[in-house]
Order: sequence, then C-alpha cells, then structure tokens
Amino acid sequence: MSKPAVMRQMEQIAHVDVNCFYASAERAFDPSLEGRPLVVLSNNDGCAVTRSPEAKALGIPLGEPWFKLAPRAKEWGLVARSSNYELYGDISARVMDLLGRYSAWLEVYSIDEAFLGVKGSPEELRLLGHAMKEACRRHVGVPVCVGIAGTKTLAKLANKWAKNNPAFNGVCQWGSVPAPVREALMAGLSVIEIWGVATRLTKRLNAMGIQSILDLSRADPVVIRDRFSVVMMRTVLELQGTPCIPMEEERIGRDQLIFSRSFSTPITTAPDLRQVLSVYGQQASARLAKHGLQAKVLTAFAGTSHYNPRDTSYPSVCIRLPMPTADPVLLTRASHALLPLIQEGVKYARAGIMVTDLRPTGNQPPLHLFENAHEERGIGALLEDVSRRYGRGSIGLGHAGIRGGPDWSMKRDMLSPRYTTHWDELPLVKAA
Amino acid sequence: MRVIIGPRVIDAGSSLLSVLISPVPVAAGYPSPAQDYFDGRIDLNEHLIKDITSTYVVRVSGDSMEGAGISDGDELIVNRALEPKDGSVVIAVLDGELTVKRLRITAAGVLLQAENPNYPDVRVSALSELTIWGVATRCLHHV
Repeated sequence: MSKPAVMRQMEQIAHVDVNCFYASAERAFDPSLEGRPLVVLSNNDGCAVTRSPEAKALGIPLGEPWFKLAPRAKEWGLVARSSNYELYGDISARVMDLLGRYSAWLEVYSIDEAFLGVKGSPEELRLLGHAMKEACRRHVGVPVCVGIAGTKTLAKLANKWAKNNPAFNGVCQWGSVPAPVREALMAGLSVIEIWGVATRLTKRLNAMGIQSILDLSRADPVVIRDRFSVVMMRTVLELQGTPCIPMEEERIGRDQLIFSRSFSTPITTAPDLRQVLSVYGQQASARLAKHGLQAKVLTAFAGTSHYNPRDTSYPSVCIRLPMPTADPVLLTRASHALLPLIQEGVKYARAGIMVTDLRPTGNQPPLHLFENAHEERGIGALLEDVSRRYGRGSIGLGHAGIRGGPDWSMKRDMLSPRYTTHWDELPLVKAA
Repeated sequence: MRVIIGPRVIDAGSSLLSVLISPVPVAAGYPSPAQDYFDGRIDLNEHLIKDITSTYVVRVSGDSMEGAGISDGDELIVNRALEPKDGSVVIAVLDGELTVKRLRITAAGVLLQAENPNYPDVRVSALSELTIWGVATRCLHHV
C-alpha cells in the first residue's frame, strides 16, 4: 500500500492452472459429463487421479482404487475415464500456446500449470488474469484459475485462494487484496498447504511454534536456513515478497516430465530448434531412466512471443511412441516431428517437450532387442498402424503377440476417443 | 491420400501428412521452365485454419444440415475463438450433446435452425442460455 509507484513498475508473476485438468479435458468434448461426478483413472485403470468437484463432494479421496468405487458408481452416477494422454497432451499444448500470448516469459511448470512474467498496475493485472481465464475457457474449452503476485510462492498461494473463494471469480491479484484480508487468509492456512513444504517438515515447523502460513512468513529467514535449509529460507523470503525461486527448465511430476524454456534470444531456424529439441529429448531420457520410468506419449511445442504480433506461430505435435521407452534416440527423433511445422525466419521465443503416460520400466529386456530389429525395418510403425486401425491386441510379434506384452495388456477400458489427435476418433456432432 | 487438418499427430516412424500438389508436370529430359516459379506446396492448414490453437475438427452425424451443404459423415473445421453471429453455423450444446445448427438471432428471439424440413428448429429464450461450443468455418464434404 505504501509504495505504489515502485510496485507498478515491478514485474509480477502469474500462476495459471487448469481446474481438475484431466476431468476438464474430458468434459470439453463430452458435455454430458458436465455437472456429473467424474474421476479419471491412472494407468491400467488403477485408481482415481483426478476428481471433478462433484466427485470430491461425494467424498472420494484422491488415489482411491477403482475396484472400491466401481460397485457404487451406478448409485452415485459416478463416471470414470481411463487416462487419455494424447488428449491431455494436446489440450495442455493449446493452453500453453494461449498463455504464451500474454507473456514472453512462460515457464511450463506441469501439464496443467504455468508461471508467467507479467507487468502492469494491479487493475491491469487483474484484467489480464481474467483475459487469460476467458481465453482458456472459450478458445480451448477448459476452466483455469489465476493467481498473480510478486513471487512464485505467493502467486501459487493467490491461485489457491482464487480457486477456493468464489468471491475472486477465479482470479486473485495479491496486491489488490487488502493486507488484513491477506493476513487473515494466511493465518487460516496450515504451513502444510504451502508450496514445497513437506509433511515431515510441517511437524518440525509446528514444534517451533510455526503453525500457519502467516507464522512462516513472519519467521526469521536466517534462523529458518540454519534449522532447515536454503530451500525453506527461500520459501520464507518469497512469502515476504522477495522473489528467489528462479525460472526452471525442468520439472518432474507424478505422471509427466516437462522440459521447456523461453529463449533470451529468439530461435529462427529449424536447425537451431532441432538442437534444442535434441537436448530436451536426451534430458528427458536421462530423467526417465533415473526414475525408472518409460514414456508412451511425447508432446513437442514451440511458440512465438506475444510482443511480436506480426508473425505468430504456435506449432505443437503429440506423438504416441511405438512402445513405452526412455531411449534417447527414440525420444529425440519423436521430438523432431515438430520441425516440419516450424516456419523459417519466424522468431520462436520458447520451445519444449513433455512426456506423459509414464509407467515403470518393466522387466522387458527382450523388447529392447526386438525394438532395434524392427526399428530398422519399420515394423514398429506398421504394428502401430495395424493396432490403431484394428485395435490393440490385433497384431503382435512372436511371444509378445501371442501372450500380449506388457503394453498390449494395459487396461484402458473406459478410454474416451482421442478427439484431437486421431482422425478416426474425432468428436461427433449431431445433425438431428 | 490422407489429409490431416487440425492438431497434427504423427506416429513415430511414419512420415508427415501434408498435401502435395506439384505445380509442375514433370517431364523427363529437360528442365521445366516453370521450375523457377515453384515456391512451396499448398498447405491446407495455412488456408483453412486461422488459429490452430482454437481450432478443432469434428465429424457430423445425421442429415439435418443438408441444406447448408453439410452431410452425414462430413468433417467440420470449428474455430472456438470466433464470435457467433446471426447466420453462423454453430456447434451448440443441446441436452448434453454437441449439435450442429444454424444460429439465428432476431428480434423475436434466438433460434437454432436445422437446414432440412424434416427437422424442427430449437427456440432458445436468450443467447445467454445457450452454450455455443464453436463456430464452423469449413465443411469437408465427401464427394
């Protein structure tokens, strides 16, 4: 309140995320799901990883196994969907494209959230937040909430309030919330709610008399550093309004891995972008291997800056890999599928790749041998083509074909169509 | 020929999906005089899609829009960023389903019109009570 002139010039950070992302992506193409309790299930139709507000209202916990829910689904009117990563990857790329039009400084933080650098007066920022929210709803078809503040930690917090408090109408600009209200809200939230504070640390903080987020924001950063870590000190400083969590290029989530950045100097040629994508492909491979994971779907994207309205280009591709893989060659090659869509001479301000549909690396060394052999002769592409046309399990090689390999046996019984990435699965509109 | 419009999908290992129209009948033996004029293929994405991010492709089921040249099984290019106007062919949400109709906004009210006498129009009390999913810009009719 005391220094408006300075505040106005400062760069702020917007945190945007899609509400119940997987459920919202399903609803975007199937309006009959609107208003119904809906859960999206993890790989192999294991457990609920996303719940619509109606499903949350039924008291369904996150991670509830489907076999426990199924018997009561009918009675509740509960609908379940298998994870449709092609759809989510494409919708995510569209949301990020749109958001990138509002800032040259975009950090894709996960499949459904991003940080953006934004500037303007509190009122301008509030309007910007609403513009982004409206664009995502109308142009892509998914609801988002927006938090805007001076630091990433506060922006995340502002977003949480925007989500939980209908008065904000989905957009919370921290600076325009009166200080007493902010303090009351922070006093009402436990430290466990803050970004980056794990349950384990909560106990130790509580032991120090730090219960609420407000308590933490009032703690001495140096004491916190000595008792905990630099990471925790940064959180305290960020809560006090000092930005100290830098932009990141790499993020691992529960079910996705993202490598993305905005370039300091725009990239204008396909060869340069090829290099960037190759680096990301290899980084993704290393990360996947480290976590014992393989990916089935890769999304690659690039975009121009909003501040360059003359040449706009937001290419993205979503690629279903021939098999779950962490192979750097396969991932890099897949990411290069973006290159034909690149317009020479156009200034690309950012690019990235995202791998989704992750699963643990199985005990499948034989697949690896067979991968190289079929790679050379293009059998992988053929198999993929046949199974896409005639269904999974319609064709397979040798042992894998007869027995059903680990991937062929994946359960995705409640899979919705891949509306935006497969010509044979386009949304149907009724002319009746 | 396979034309893919809209969000582009590639299966690793297969090649991409653009329509190839050679402007030059290839004559073996001597260079074509038109060669110097070749400056790229026609890219349907460029001509049919204004904004790829807000564009979806949907498939029509039913014949209630025959009069508008939209037949059963045709694909529509839908731009969600466009403002629906009187006369727009729109995808609307009706009874939880995506439905294609022609939007009529008149002094008498809002109407979703079928383009086939066998189908009734749908009257809506106000535009605000209607969810317009998107505006169709092109029909890919099977000939």
